Amino acid sequence: MPLTIPNPITLVVVEDTDEDFETVVEAVERSGLHPVVRRATTGEAGLAVLRELPTDGSVLVLMDLNTPGADGREALATLKSDPALKSIPVIVFSTSASPTDVGFCYAAGANAYHVKPVEYPEHLQLVVDVVDYWCGRVVFADTGVSRS
Amino acid sequence: MSETEHAAPLPWAGQPYSIKRHGVSITNCDSEPVQTPGCIQAHGAMLVLRPSDLTILQASENTDQLLGCSAASLLNTPVRNAVGASGEASLKSFLAAEPTDRNPIYVFTLPAAGNVPPLDVTAHTIDGVAVIEFEATGRTDIGEPDYYALVKKTVARLQTARTLLEFCDVAVDEFRILTGLDRVMVYKFHDDGHGEVFAESKRDELLPWLGLHYPAEDIPQPAREVFKLVWIRPTPDVAGALAELIPLANPDTGRPLTMTYCALRGASVMYTEYLKNMTVTAGLTLAIRRDGELWGLIAGHHYSGPKFVPYQVRAACEFLAQVVSLQHQAAEEREQLVYRLKLDGVHQQLVAQAAQHDDLATVISGRTSLLDGVAAGGAALFHRNRWWRVGNTPTETELEALGEWLNDRPEFTSSSRALYVTDALAHDYPPAAAFADVASGLLCMPLSRFNRNLLLWFRAETSQTVSWGGNPHDKPTVPGPNGPRLSPRVSFELFQESVRGRSLPWLTVECDAAVRLRILLMELVVSRSEQLTDLNADLTRSNEELDAFAYVASHDLKEPLRGIHKYAHQLLEEAEGKDDEQRRKLNGLMRLTVRMDSLLDSLLHFSRVGRAALDTEDTDLNDVVSESIEMVDARRAEGRTEIAIPRRLPHAQCDRVRCREIFVNLLSNALKYNDKPRKRVEVGYIAAGEDHPRPGSPEGSSGLTIFYVRDNGIGIPSRHFEQVFKMFKRLHGRDEYGGGTGAGLPIVQKLVERHHGRAWLDSTVGVGTTVYFTLSSLEQE
Repeated sequence: MPLTIPNPITLVVVEDTDEDFETVVEAVERSGLHPVVRRATTGEAGLAVLRELPTDGSVLVLMDLNTPGADGREALATLKSDPALKSIPVIVFSTSASPTDVGFCYAAGANAYHVKPVEYPEHLQLVVDVVDYWCGRVVFADTGVSRS
Repeated sequence: MSETEHAAPLPWAGQPYSIKRHGVSITNCDSEPVQTPGCIQAHGAMLVLRPSDLTILQASENTDQLLGCSAASLLNTPVRNAVGASGEASLKSFLAAEPTDRNPIYVFTLPAAGNVPPLDVTAHTIDGVAVIEFEATGRTDIGEPDYYALVKKTVARLQTARTLLEFCDVAVDEFRILTGLDRVMVYKFHDDGHGEVFAESKRDELLPWLGLHYPAEDIPQPAREVFKLVWIRPTPDVAGALAELIPLANPDTGRPLTMTYCALRGASVMYTEYLKNMTVTAGLTLAIRRDGELWGLIAGHHYSGPKFVPYQVRAACEFLAQVVSLQHQAAEEREQLVYRLKLDGVHQQLVAQAAQHDDLATVISGRTSLLDGVAAGGAALFHRNRWWRVGNTPTETELEALGEWLNDRPEFTSSSRALYVTDALAHDYPPAAAFADVASGLLCMPLSRFNRNLLLWFRAETSQTVSWGGNPHDKPTVPGPNGPRLSPRVSFELFQESVRGRSLPWLTVECDAAVRLRILLMELVVSRSEQLTDLNADLTRSNEELDAFAYVASHDLKEPLRGIHKYAHQLLEEAEGKDDEQRRKLNGLMRLTVRMDSLLDSLLHFSRVGRAALDTEDTDLNDVVSESIEMVDARRAEGRTEIAIPRRLPHAQCDRVRCREIFVNLLSNALKYNDKPRKRVEVGYIAAGEDHPRPGSPEGSSGLTIFYVRDNGIGIPSRHFEQVFKMFKRLHGRDEYGGGTGAGLPIVQKLVERHHGRAWLDSTVGVGTTVYFTLSSLEQE
């Protein structure tokens, strides 16, 4: 473990539904960690945000699969085929439990896939668990590759 | 003629051929120069003239006997030395005016002189010479029969014949009346060249030859060629002498005389020996031609000495032979037309029937079948990946192997006439010997090139007994003066040969009808497959739409649902301590969103069940059921529950995972809709054909294994038996009996249908329900 205090983690949330985004914000507040949350409502906007951020391994993406415009699938595929971005963990949240969608996301390089529960308490707890785990326990790669 | 030219050195090499000098040295009938025999039959005489000045170039050596002057004295002199000045004048004007080339025509009658009777003089030209033949007129003082009237009567009789056989019977009768010969036959050539006596008219005391077969060698190829050129071949005295032409070669050209068209042409030694062996003393043969080919012969035999048939009668015979040639085909066609019309009628009915039932297999299984058409003992069709059979056919295993072999037949690559026909299948396909009794004859055609759909007609082996005139396998050689040679058969005793592995041959009219049927059926198959393609496209489209819909349902409907649930939840938290009524409503709101969520899940699952591919394998259903029981075990623990399996379940061809889902759904329903203190469930099966009641079972399922899950639950009123298989159909309040979505039985039904099976149920309210299902269809088995 490095002895220096790491940068706070930036959580890029690609989510077009306000209620679901609020659930993420509530979950972040509940977690003991306090990542910086940045929202994008489309896949393109999400990619644009990522390209501004530093390459030091402090970014995590929570991605809704069905967003307007270039949807989550497309954004995921673009991100994972871009050498500068592909090391960033992408956690997929989707309403769909379709094996086709699950299969597609893992094949495209998604790091985890979650089905959003309809029941609010469960949904909230899921996001809390994800934030706690990915922001608190997982070590990210510092690629050092410059982001254009 | 090409038949006369031979690469091998012949005994007469370098000099003109003469039967008298070289005939006995012939070793092979097929090499004999029958058209340039160098000799004539000695009952007549011959002069060969230079047409320009009617000088005698060649004369038969017997002119002194018939014309009163030796050949030597006639050679190189004007023809008037032989026929007188008026005769010469007649010949001159005749040769100038008539179409004499290769066409012998009567010119005049030379009056009697001394002990020589009056002679009919006929003339024709060939290869630049004029050939004059002299024969006794044969006329008596009694006067002449009216040959025109005779021929006219014969033609009228021939025209009334309804079948080929009837036609030939008339022909032989009439020829015998006309010629006075002891026996007249129609001798018909088979495809392999051997001949058969097809019709016969004879003096009563003679042994019948009708139905006898003769080997192809009996009528050598050169003789057959001649009969394509001339209509008639008289041999009035088999034992008669031959008279050689002097000189043998034309002094102007050095070439032998082509005697093809001469009535007097000398018969080969082989031929006369052949006739003598049959005790024939005189013969007259006429050609029956069809489309330029030799179809058969009208053969007249006489047994009581020479029989001179005069020129006038022969002319009438020749005319009749032409009439027979022209009309026997019409007679056969009349006969076949009736059959052809019948076949086409039946075949059109078959096509209409197949179209009406939308099923090609009806050509075998329908009220009208293939057997009503082409005469056959059995028929089979390979269609929809299985064999359909009617009548006497080989077994399915035999058909399977035969089908494999047939698919490689080169005939099937023909686009216009893809047809394989044989009357001796085992000859081409040795394994057919095992089923020769039902299928020695096969008529087969493919209905499509790619999925090996075949249509077959079978004909049984006919224990055909062919009666040969003499043993056809004997080809005795006897030593001749110049080494061994083939001898005409000496034995004409009946030789019977039974022919094995052969059926009656397939007629051209039958093959043609089959080809037309094929075209009609293929049109039907093509239009049917186009329909199927369209339907499949529609189905694929609607499946895709369903897929899209399910996706919309799962996502676009669920997303707002999640929001509603969230706000209801938050409101409920804020309403802490407020009035109960508000809290009750918020709780209801949340419960409804959860229920809608599970309905959407069921819908999504139902749509997936219909689309996912099956992974079918041999599966032990005992394993599947015990896994299913484990999966519903939670429910078992709730009450006192017993799941019985009275006997071990069989294996089945099914998708293990989907099958488990069927049992899980049925077991869970059996336990869920059950209010008995002791819940009892039985999982079992009824084997195909087993003596067992099958309440409510659909048609045809008694031939299949039926599985069932029986409970002692609440039961279902009979009016709902079908409704419960409908999506989201629930018979109870949404929170009763565990509050299912109503997707269980529809999903079971869909899974069963994916296995080509059926699901149905039987139930008594308050007693229990049995759900039955099959995992296959009869069609597949």
